[in-house]
Amino acid sequence: MSEILRSRDCLVFFKGDSQTVIVSPQMAAGGWPGGQGVRWVQGVGDERVVTYSNGLYGGFLMWGSEEEGDLFTAATHQQPHYRYATMFSGGCLISTSSYERYTYVSRLGGPLVPLVYSSNDILYLSLRGLWTKEDEMSLSGSPLAPAFFTGFVAQIPKAANKLFLGIQTSM
Amino acid sequence: MIKNFPRERDCFVLFKGDAYPVSVSQAMVVGGWQGGQGVQWVDSPRDEFLVDYSDGLYGGFLLWGSNEGSDKYTSLTGSQPLYGLGTLCAGGWLISTRTFERYTYSSRQIGPLVENNYVVGERLVFSLRGWFTREDEWFLSGDPRGSNGYFIASVVQAPSVDNDHFITLQTSI
Repeated sequence: MSEILRSRDCLVFFKGDSQTVIVSPQMAAGGWPGGQGVRWVQGVGDERVVTYSNGLYGGFLMWGSEEEGDLFTAATHQQPHYRYATMFSGGCLISTSSYERYTYVSRLGGPLVPLVYSSNDILYLSLRGLWTKEDEMSLSGSPLAPAFFTGFVAQIPKAANKLFLGIQTSM
Repeated sequence: MIKNFPRERDCFVLFKGDAYPVSVSQAMVVGGWQGGQGVQWVDSPRDEFLVDYSDGLYGGFLLWGSNEGSDKYTSLTGSQPLYGLGTLCAGGWLISTRTFERYTYSSRQIGPLVENNYVVGERLVFSLRGWFTREDEWFLSGDPRGSNGYFIASVVQAPSVDNDHFITLQTSI
């Protein structure tokens, strides 16, 4: 039984820095979960635009584009419609479902091999911007390797926390 | 000698960074801790954020000791270990603390004690018992983790008679 209600993708126990950003057309079309890592991209005019992280980071998006908790409220689909989002960075303490559950290699070729997280594991953002303990930039041979350190595991996923990952961010 | 600040606690704050409450391990509840004690994340069967004494890793440091003299005869007496809570500090702080390794790792094992000489600007890590130190105790102890690359603070003011032998640090956690 979870002792903390986890009815959203990303819960904040300590808030670091936050700012509003514009999301890319790809993100507006594809949507994103709360806790999604993002990176800066060139915008048109005087805009600060982010898109899905590929291992690089500007921060992570606090609220997902289409979370259940927003349905039937004024927030329904508001972020992708107006192409804005709230980006967090700095030092936060969060619990999120937006992390890689399976190893990079097994996601490519299968069968799926679970990633086993331990307390204090160093975290990066994966090639699709989810939190992971693997340096996917190095594993994929990216010329941008190595991936940036973005945080530590503060609480491992388990039944007691609805398999959410607790993270102390450092971005 | 007139000191600029009365140092009546283990750790006092000149600039505040991030701070939030965490659960402390049973070992810490029993053993207690000083203000400025480094801690690291550990797993818990419950849905809580739990820390234990650092062994070189970090989540941050605990601001208040579990049983400081200044808390005696107040409502704070023993309250942190009683409820299993501590205040974890992370991010950028400017602190002055007596919770650092005064003597080298090797001399603490076999004696005689040899002082660690801290220099302003020096980079610090946590020792094997979670105190600020200039030495890489993972490397010195033959820890299989190798060298401790977790830079957590730099020295702003070295310990001296003028500051009651406290060390002043700028943390970067």
